[in-house]
Amino acid sequence: MGIRYTRTHAALEGDIAVDDAEALAHWLRAQRRPAVALKAVGHVHSAVLQVLLALRPALRSEPADRWLRAALGLAPVATSEGEPA
Amino acid sequence: MKTQDLLDQFVQEARECLERIGQRLLAVERDPANRELLNDLFREVHTLKGNCGLFDFGALEHLVHAAEDLLDRVRDGQIAYRPALADTLLDAMDHTGALVDRIARDGRLDGDDPAAAALAQALRQHLTAADPAPRSDAAEPAPRAMPDWLSALPAGERPAGAVAVTYTPESGCYFKGEDPWRLARCAPGLRHLAVHAPTDWPPPAEAFDCYDHRLVFRLVCDAPLAAVQDHFRYVPEQVACVVLANEDAAPAPRLAPAHGADPALAALRQHARALWTAQGELLARPGVAAASVESARRVLERLARILGVDATDSLAGLAPGAVPLATWAREHHPDGAAAAGRATDESVAPPTPRLGAATAAGATAAGATADDGHAGDRGPRMLKVSQDKIDRLMDLIGEMVVAKNALPYLAARAETQFGQRELAREIKTQYSVINRIAEDMQHAVLQVRMLPVGTVFQRFGRLVRDISRKLGKEVELVLEGEDTEADKNVIESLADPLIHILRNSLDHGIEPPDARRAAGKPATGTLRVSARQEGDRVVLEIADDGAGIDTRRVRAKAVERGLIPADRADALTDAEAVQLVFLPGFSTAESVSDLSGRGVGMDVVRTAVERVNGTVALSSTAGAGTTIRLSLPLSMAVTHVMMIETAGRRFGVPMDLIVETVRVPAEDIHHFKQSQTVVLRGRIVPLRSLNALMGLDDPPRANPEGEHAVLVVRLGGETIGLVVDDFDGTSDIILKPLEGVLAGLTGFAGTALMGDGSVLMILNPRELI
Repeated sequence: MGIRYTRTHAALEGDIAVDDAEALAHWLRAQRRPAVALKAVGHVHSAVLQVLLALRPALRSEPADRWLRAALGLAPVATSEGEPA
Repeated sequence: MKTQDLLDQFVQEARECLERIGQRLLAVERDPANRELLNDLFREVHTLKGNCGLFDFGALEHLVHAAEDLLDRVRDGQIAYRPALADTLLDAMDHTGALVDRIARDGRLDGDDPAAAALAQALRQHLTAADPAPRSDAAEPAPRAMPDWLSALPAGERPAGAVAVTYTPESGCYFKGEDPWRLARCAPGLRHLAVHAPTDWPPPAEAFDCYDHRLVFRLVCDAPLAAVQDHFRYVPEQVACVVLANEDAAPAPRLAPAHGADPALAALRQHARALWTAQGELLARPGVAAASVESARRVLERLARILGVDATDSLAGLAPGAVPLATWAREHHPDGAAAAGRATDESVAPPTPRLGAATAAGATAAGATADDGHAGDRGPRMLKVSQDKIDRLMDLIGEMVVAKNALPYLAARAETQFGQRELAREIKTQYSVINRIAEDMQHAVLQVRMLPVGTVFQRFGRLVRDISRKLGKEVELVLEGEDTEADKNVIESLADPLIHILRNSLDHGIEPPDARRAAGKPATGTLRVSARQEGDRVVLEIADDGAGIDTRRVRAKAVERGLIPADRADALTDAEAVQLVFLPGFSTAESVSDLSGRGVGMDVVRTAVERVNGTVALSSTAGAGTTIRLSLPLSMAVTHVMMIETAGRRFGVPMDLIVETVRVPAEDIHHFKQSQTVVLRGRIVPLRSLNALMGLDDPPRANPEGEHAVLVVRLGGETIGLVVDDFDGTSDIILKPLEGVLAGLTGFAGTALMGDGSVLMILNPRELI
């Protein structure tokens, strides 16, 4: 649960609380090539979402959640039922 | 039963809250500049709102919420407190009182309350009238108009009847604990969700305030408007909802009746008709919820479109409620009204009039009860007495207990000094009578202050549920011994420490389901909170079957935080290392989560418990769980002491520390260098002379048989024998703490006045040894 900062990217894992937003924003701004990994992310707090939208870091891996993908402007994952684009 | 208890408590607390709010409102009106009063008022309203949130009393909650919002602005100085505003607030609170009375009478609050809605509206008007929020005009489209962003959506994303929502959270919403993204994501029947970021967003390089919310959410929800509005009920002024019109939607595929040749189509039609009939049956049930009626209406509307029943207009014009809709469904049944009647004669037609009759009868009955209520004595037969008065009563009874203790002395004097044996016996008889009455009185007053611990436990269910869900853990909460009673002060002082312990257990103790399965444990963790009475103490145990405390990590953290030196940490046994968590400032959390790990640790729990004269013990087995045991006195008013004599002086020792009193022959005492020990029941007990501990020079005196009186006390899990001269019986005393110049004296818990007028010093063995 929380954010794991590695040398190259910040890995968001599980639910990210509001408290983490500031640290994430700070870290992303300090990076030359900011990147985040969202593969294992659960729910992100609005503040964290806002940081992601405002600073637009590169995505190391994409989130699975449909609405979060939509919010980040990613293509929806194709499902067998063929969700509308 | 438990819900009823909770409800009773809610009603009682709500009434108290309302009473205080009423007083505060008037006080604030007299002195609008007094910030203290305003803060107080806001807190009361906030508490009331919080309490409402425990139950599903929509109308009540909405009203109080509106009042809270208004007061929040007043408190911030954004809106001036005016008499008109006070009037609205008072009206609102009066109506809240009426609603609470209704809840007390019926045990529930059904349906919408137009009066409450109107009052909430009035309150909100004060909000907007005084402070037309600049953002709201720009961001919220005019009601009823289609937001232009909708037309950009593909038709499949905006079905007819769906609700388009523009949700514009306020910029400071994070500080109110809101999470708009979560709220938006969890909207009912979500079909489309877009996040709209402001265009004037600062470039990434520049610092921007990540706690200043700027996002706007646009949603399309395929759910009834009522459900969507209910979902956003806490932020009604921040959402604009528009129901999508029919013609805007893609034409619904029609199951034309003419092409009956297709067997698949015929089957579909049959299903559609069955659905229609099912709606009728649903509506005919007694007490259908408003939301069910609404969804039935929507289903019927769509079925009508698909089946080609041309009655959508008459459906839209129906009166709200189940009965008209049920009638409509029967009349417009695709198989013809007659067929519908045949099919549902037994199920629909007869109950409908009966239902109507029942509702009418219910209404009259309710009216009658209300009238009776007004005519007779209103409110429950309960006497509210301030705690001061009870305390005063307690003090008086305490003095009475002390005074009656003078009688045995009097009897002794009558016998020895005046040789009046007869009189002495009579005094003793009288004494026993007064003694009994005094004890009963004391017991009765203590009973007044007694509460079952269940009153604190009741809050845990929700707490555990919310936290465990948030953490993604599965936890079963087991409560035991809720009926155990203890003094109100003791119970109330327990609430916060217990909540803290529970949070700790949930956050650090119980593992996520996967880890539990890997460890060979059931995926669902168990958190057991049990209470029981042990002698004159209440024992509370909070046990989880989680991972236990990692002593290695605890040691490392304690050293890292400079709480103890490294060499000492290594020397500790595991059981001792676990106790390090009680050190002030101890926390193992790597990062601060919103649950625990703010450095407010177990030391706070211990301080809170010790304040009411309780003790905390913690034991933990790695992999098997942690148990925390709180032991608290039943009551704090009367202390039971054992009187002892040493070096010609009398002292009292609190009874709860004493394990036993024994007389030990002098030759059984083993001397080893300076220390002395004695073997009692196969256990070695170290002996300390009370005289030596208190700096009295007299050597311990033995009785004529050469035996020493030894008072065995338990101090923090260890037993120690105190050698005294003699035992002197027990007594109930009112402990007065040392004051003034004596306050700094260690070794004494306080003083007490004895029946013969002498002052007894009460020892505190913890400080002595």
